[in-house]
Amino acid sequence: MTDRGRQLTSVSLAGRDIHLSFGRNTVLRGVDIDAPAGSTVAVIGPSGSGKSTLLRTLNRLHEPDRGDVLLDGRSVLNDDPNRLRQRIGMVFQHFNLFPHRSVLDNVMLAPRKLKRLSADAARELALAQLDRVGMKHKADSRPAALSGGQQQRVAIARALAMGPQVMLFDEATSALDPELVKGILALIADLGAEGMTMLVVTHEMGFAKSTSDTVVFMDHGQVVETGPPDQIFEAAETERLQRFLSQVL
Amino acid sequence: MRLNAGKLFALVSTILLTYSLAPVAPAAADTNLCKPSGADGAIALPRKLATANRPQEDKYTTADVEPLSSVNVDALGLRTPRTLTVGTEAGGPPTSCLNSAGRYTGYDNELLRAIAAKLGLHVVFSGTEFSGLLAQVATRRFDVGSSSIMATEARRRTVGFTNGYDFGYLSLIVPSGSPIDSFDELRPGQRIGVVQGTVEEAYVIDTLHIEPVKFPDFTTVYTSVKTHQIDAWVAPAMEATNVMRPGDTASIAAYTFGLGNFVAYAVAKDNQPLINALNAGLDAVIDDGTWAQLYTDWVPRPLPRGWHPGSKSALRPHLPDFAAIAEQHHRGIDEAAPPKSTLAQLRDSFFDWDLYRQTIPVLLKTGLPNTLILTVSSGVIGLTMGIVLAVAGISHARWLRWPARVYTDVFRGLPEVVIILLIGLGIGPVVGGLTNNNPYPLGIAALGLTAAAYVGEIFRSGIQSVESGQLEAARALGLSYRASMGLVVIPQGIRRVLPALVNQFIALLKGSALVYFLGLIAGQRELFQVGRDFNAQTGSLSPLVAAGIFYLLLTIPLTHLVNLVDNRLRRGRAATEPDNPLVSTTRQEMT
Repeated sequence: MTDRGRQLTSVSLAGRDIHLSFGRNTVLRGVDIDAPAGSTVAVIGPSGSGKSTLLRTLNRLHEPDRGDVLLDGRSVLNDDPNRLRQRIGMVFQHFNLFPHRSVLDNVMLAPRKLKRLSADAARELALAQLDRVGMKHKADSRPAALSGGQQQRVAIARALAMGPQVMLFDEATSALDPELVKGILALIADLGAEGMTMLVVTHEMGFAKSTSDTVVFMDHGQVVETGPPDQIFEAAETERLQRFLSQVL
Repeated sequence: MRLNAGKLFALVSTILLTYSLAPVAPAAADTNLCKPSGADGAIALPRKLATANRPQEDKYTTADVEPLSSVNVDALGLRTPRTLTVGTEAGGPPTSCLNSAGRYTGYDNELLRAIAAKLGLHVVFSGTEFSGLLAQVATRRFDVGSSSIMATEARRRTVGFTNGYDFGYLSLIVPSGSPIDSFDELRPGQRIGVVQGTVEEAYVIDTLHIEPVKFPDFTTVYTSVKTHQIDAWVAPAMEATNVMRPGDTASIAAYTFGLGNFVAYAVAKDNQPLINALNAGLDAVIDDGTWAQLYTDWVPRPLPRGWHPGSKSALRPHLPDFAAIAEQHHRGIDEAAPPKSTLAQLRDSFFDWDLYRQTIPVLLKTGLPNTLILTVSSGVIGLTMGIVLAVAGISHARWLRWPARVYTDVFRGLPEVVIILLIGLGIGPVVGGLTNNNPYPLGIAALGLTAAAYVGEIFRSGIQSVESGQLEAARALGLSYRASMGLVVIPQGIRRVLPALVNQFIALLKGSALVYFLGLIAGQRELFQVGRDFNAQTGSLSPLVAAGIFYLLLTIPLTHLVNLVDNRLRRGRAATEPDNPLVSTTRQEMT
């Protein structure tokens, strides 16, 4: 899947001093994060540490209370959020495919409505993306007829169909049966190898170790430690990261 | 569900079998009450009544009338030029009723036809409930009310009246074996039935000082007497005599003179030209003998001393000696016959095949199309408004959310019948010109507005039941809120509530029966009204059973359609795809 010669035009994505509260519940307390163009950043940390919320702040599904989001070095907080999200693809833990539409329609919907492609052009694009994730043969099925792994592949194709410059993965394998995890991780790794800028929230430490360029450890709404995988997994500096690693490894 | 159908079939066939094996049924008695009896059907006035108090001093009957030739038929304030729009009652034979040919007839209505002919006016009748008739005349929904209305003082505050064309007295009907045999024995605490809005009601409340049990029409109150659900019925004597059949488990215990001076046609109070014209017409049909003929045909009994129809200068009618004819036939008004067996009564009530044969074609030709028109039109209104209400109800904008909430609370909180009466009788006169006096647009509006409140809530719950991840995923793709709702969330919400929507449609189908409150001409009657009219003509419940079967034929398939749709939605379309059946089809919901 990597030998398709696609020219990805990925860009950098960064968060600066991001704060976010829901009512009295403070979720992010000044997060700084950097994903240089073409890099893969793995975000790890205990449940409730704010990882998923951080991803949603970066594509403005949540608006930060304070701080800035930089895409390709430029602040995007004053842009049209719908435009911004077309440039940032997102994949969810629970796939969130549209169950009332066929696999093909799931992938075609956004290009058709937002890029105003003709039905034929959108179908061609969608089939190419489905082929890329190995799901072309299920184009006419309903999502409910697919396995979890298959659904997640379709969800990835759906996000890729908009030609994003950055991809966000929110625990993309957490809801999958163990035997299906590997395939999805391989697909994500391939995407990274193609040069896509990616932020990957994950509980798969093996994946973080082997595939990412940078690992970010979050706890209590803050980034506690950042570094290349070797340093994070072999030479953790903080006690909190050491304790976390001892629990998950 | 197959099991249920089987049970139902078994039940029906058992009933059929029981009926066909029952001891030889007497040749079907002529059950049609809505036809003239002729002079042979004469009854004597009760003896007690003849010596009872005379009609009070009469200050309303006019001394004379204007000549027929000077009536200007274009200045009568009619709803439709040269047409009398008349509200009458389908279930009050022999004075006003709907016959099996679908013609509003009876003494009141035939006499009105004769008067209208004298005036050169066309007549259009609509059936309505007596309880709402005077209000509808007062608001000019009808030009004339024709239903043996006694012109009482109380009613004169609401409407105007013509001169009298009949007189009335009350009778006391009690269940067989009741100890009550005079009005003096009526006591508070007893259940005394009356028809709502009638002179009888006023009599029981004002003169007897008893709180009566109120019924919408004669048929229902009489059925309640026969089945001992009430202790007595204070009834207008003629109508009561007519609905009573030999062998019924009820009898007449006593009589009293009616409160009103006379029976007259009701006209809007401020429409004196029409009252004058009808008075002129009435005197004309009295003078040429038509009145006497109709009176003899429909309500043959002696006139009380000192009373005659029309103005004071109308000619005295020549009538046969009804007292003598009644004597000859030994027909007293209080004659009793041995009661029928319970089984025979049940059979006559529910399984009168002749009546089924009469009723079903009318149900099919008139009732069914009208019910479907009402249901489908109001369903379309309900769906359209419902989706608007639902979207407004989940909007973040307060100025959208609030009106939707208030609307829903009001229309969902009121009984349908209240909404129908308020809209039909309240808004009706205001938009009468637009609707051409047709109650259908108003009935449809009332049903549709009510349905919208329910449909809106169904949609809202459906839309809100769609997982938040769906909206999130659509928005993450870059779709706007509006596009995400329209393309992703709302379509799923609607699919989920299809079964609930079909249930709502069934409720609407049943609710459509309520438009009968607004008064329908014969061709507008829906299933219930058709059954009800035959029921009122004959006193048998069979026509209602037939109407009920029609409703079931519509609703039961719909119910099963719901189940089918429901199952299909649950399974998705997996059944049409050769997929691995082991893959859980509900994974998305479960994870």
